[in-house]
Amino acid sequence: MNAQDFLLEIRTEEIPAPALLPARMELARAAGEALSEAGLAPKAIESYATLRRLSLIARGIPESQEDRSAEVLGPPEASAFGKDGKPTKAAVGFAKAQKVDVADLVVVDSPRGRTVAARKTIPGRSAEDVLAEMVPKVVAGLTFPKTMRWGDGARALTFVRPVRGVVALYGGRVVPMTLYGVAAGDRTVGHRVLSDGDFAVTGPDDYLAKLRNAYVEPDAEARRIAILERARSLAGEVHGQIEAHADLAATLADLVEWPGLVRGSFAPEFLELPEEITVTVMRTHQKFLPLRGPAGLLPHFIAVMDNDADRKGFIAKGCEWVLNARLADARFFFEEDSRQSLEARLPELSRLTFQEKLGDYRLKTTRIQELSEAIAREIGRLELVEAARTAALLSKTDLVSHVVKEFTDLQGIVGGIYARRERRPDSVWKAVYDQYRPASGSEEPPREASGAVLSMADRFDSLAGLFRLGLVPTGSKDPYGLRRAALGIVSIAIGRNWRADWRPIIRRALSLYPAEVQVLDDDAVVEELGRFFSDRLRSLLERRGSSYDEISAVLNVGVWDFADTADRARALSDARRHMDFRSLILAFKRIRNIVGDEKPGPPSPELYREDAERALAADVLQAKQAIEAFTAAREYREAMETIASIAPSLDRFFVEVLVNCPEADLRRNRLALLASIQQEFTRLADFSEIVVEK
Amino acid sequence: MSYRCDKLLPVFTLQRLIAELTSFWEGEGCLIEQPYDLPVGAGTMHPATFLRVLGPEPWRCAYVQPSRRPADGRYGENPFRLGKHLQFQVVLKPSPEDVQRTYLRSLERLGIVLAEHDIRFEEDNWESPTLGAWGVGWQVVMDGMEITQFTYFQQAGGIDLAPITAEITYGLERIAMFLSKLDSIYDVMWNETLSYGQVRRRDEVEMSKYDFEVADAELAQLMLDRHEREAKRCLDAGLVIPAYEATLVCSHQFNILDARGAVSATDRVGIIRRIRDLACACARAYVSGKEGQRSPASEPEPAAV
Repeated sequence: MNAQDFLLEIRTEEIPAPALLPARMELARAAGEALSEAGLAPKAIESYATLRRLSLIARGIPESQEDRSAEVLGPPEASAFGKDGKPTKAAVGFAKAQKVDVADLVVVDSPRGRTVAARKTIPGRSAEDVLAEMVPKVVAGLTFPKTMRWGDGARALTFVRPVRGVVALYGGRVVPMTLYGVAAGDRTVGHRVLSDGDFAVTGPDDYLAKLRNAYVEPDAEARRIAILERARSLAGEVHGQIEAHADLAATLADLVEWPGLVRGSFAPEFLELPEEITVTVMRTHQKFLPLRGPAGLLPHFIAVMDNDADRKGFIAKGCEWVLNARLADARFFFEEDSRQSLEARLPELSRLTFQEKLGDYRLKTTRIQELSEAIAREIGRLELVEAARTAALLSKTDLVSHVVKEFTDLQGIVGGIYARRERRPDSVWKAVYDQYRPASGSEEPPREASGAVLSMADRFDSLAGLFRLGLVPTGSKDPYGLRRAALGIVSIAIGRNWRADWRPIIRRALSLYPAEVQVLDDDAVVEELGRFFSDRLRSLLERRGSSYDEISAVLNVGVWDFADTADRARALSDARRHMDFRSLILAFKRIRNIVGDEKPGPPSPELYREDAERALAADVLQAKQAIEAFTAAREYREAMETIASIAPSLDRFFVEVLVNCPEADLRRNRLALLASIQQEFTRLADFSEIVVEK
Repeated sequence: MSYRCDKLLPVFTLQRLIAELTSFWEGEGCLIEQPYDLPVGAGTMHPATFLRVLGPEPWRCAYVQPSRRPADGRYGENPFRLGKHLQFQVVLKPSPEDVQRTYLRSLERLGIVLAEHDIRFEEDNWESPTLGAWGVGWQVVMDGMEITQFTYFQQAGGIDLAPITAEITYGLERIAMFLSKLDSIYDVMWNETLSYGQVRRRDEVEMSKYDFEVADAELAQLMLDRHEREAKRCLDAGLVIPAYEATLVCSHQFNILDARGAVSATDRVGIIRRIRDLACACARAYVSGKEGQRSPASEPEPAAV
């Protein structure tokens, strides 16, 4: 059968850059699936996106579906034919309704018994018909982080941005359809400024070629590469290099249809500003690429424009002008800030509220100091106490600095820079600098141990205080970012392998708040936080490759030493790759069912009757010693493999020994043996949680 | 279709800019409103936007709105920041299909040749917690400089809107600085003889000092509390416009408190909620009180005095 190409273009107003890649991937996937399901699988499918259009090209779609035969069930055989074998009225009526000859009716076996059926050939629909029906559904199924309405505001018409044009062509002919109130045609437009008017396209290749002629590069990767290549050469002209920052180049590629680049300069005097500030202004606020030479930052930058050339130099000049203005602003704030030491800002923190009922940042500062010390002691690192306390004292003072008020994403970093200028040691200034690490988008942990302590202290303080008020995050609501706070604690503890039961720290944190503001009592907070941390651990361990049930197994026997829990999870995953745990797991599930809630006490060796019983007891005793040694040495994988090694004796036990025997004392003793195994061998993981295929 | 327009405005002045924009949008069928006579933080708070975006009636309107942001005041020393700046506000309901193109034509009217510049619509969704309003849209960036906020209103006063209004807010000082390539707002010419500085610097100096150092926070708090009560009384009496005006007073007093550093992060949450509750109540009352007055054109003539 002949096959033809399909082209779809949805032209919109500017779509936010982060939505482009997911949208086009989803469009290609959903369209491919829908076409295959309809029996019209294309030979190849590709998708493109610029901020003003989403495009789909499906090559080689058959012109129509294959004809299908289908059976339509009718009346039961018994009522369809009379005793004489002639069709009854029921059969005649059915045949008529199905538009087949009565003689062509067949009898088939169906769930309803022997049933009359009509065999029909359903002709395949044309690709054009299928596409006309399918594409609007596929497009309506696209999801975006945020959608909107426009025009008359009809509720049914929500998309990421207003749809302004649709091209839908199959085999060069328009496929009739309407998307978001816009009828499909064969005309599109090029670049907003560089191309005039609209033009017709005949198919995918014509479309791609004409777009490029009209100053639109549909391929994001081509745009990104063009940006990077041109940026490198512009940087080279001033003996500089662009900072490797792949994300920014990809973002820039999605902000333009036709990337052009200009290089500009800023006043060299701004190089005296701390680099973090200058770079943040350029990269985050202006989306410019900073340039670096051998001796550091250069007073140049590269800007990406949605234009092929800076005809009159206005663009470079405009960018320079804006950047200089921004940097002048930053310098003004920086100089204002420099008039005061960080410590001198402490009193001002009393005017900055942390939370309505939990007081101001001055109070928080004191609590973080106490907690920092408590954490350092808890992990046995007394040498960190002094630096962590000092860092904690200074940690929040940058919140009342001008620079942070202006560039909020520099909180912590600015405090760190100021502390460095005040010649504080690394253990202090870096701790302040890194206090919000790990942050969303950057997993990088605090560099200094004192910084890790401070980061944890700050988070424990917020978690304890807000949970105490009953402000436990629910659903998508987490206004204080508590999930991230808890995740940060967990990942620091694991990353630094700081082993501790963190409950005493939480109780200490709770004790630092005044007694009157309390919705949940301390025990309830610890319990809620246990669940909360458990969920964070779960997501972190999942990202590290543990499976859901393995995580359940380790969390079931203890959450509160995060580093230890992570080790047990890793050990369990590793051990399972090495050894077959299937029979062990089945045995533990069985033990759990048999023992239930009973607590029969220790087994008595003199009551063992069967060989299998004695063998099991002996294996258990031997394994127990090995496991204890491995556990003490934190060699969890070896411990778990040792546990798995008793599986054969357990299996034999269940085959040869009847637990529920008539003799009460024997039964109780066998129960006791199993209970002791359950107790001893599930300290590292609750194996009965693990799912095995039957 | 051509965007080419070769002549810059003969002499670039702020008042010429306003006149050109006014004339352009008048030509697009907009009613030219006047600035609202109460301190507001943005042109959006003008009833010609906040109330008129509600309900089904078509509405096209443009006006200048002086907008006060006490916390942005810089004693007349910072060349880019003002405690009071001018917005040129355009609202188009329902949002027309060619609204972006029309906006770009307005830039051409100012003498901007688009092909010589880099013009972008960068995602910038707008939200006003005090108005219970949010929208989806962009900041329009020209050669790296934000010159306009462009928003499709989705909700105002807590009410889902239909039809949807497109709101275009030009930052007049920024555009003026940009077009005249000056490094300080105070150097922009207001007319052909007087600069922005000569007209406004003293306001900036004194208002900054007042807002940051002198303003009586207790008075502001009192004003806020009393006007909150007043707004509620007006609503009880079925008077939407006075209630909304009292709400605007609350909002401005809140901004003064904020500039004085008298609002903590969490007080802020509480006060914003109070103002939003008022704004939402006004919006609901406005919509429900309009039965039989479906079109602005058919609203009753004021009685002769």
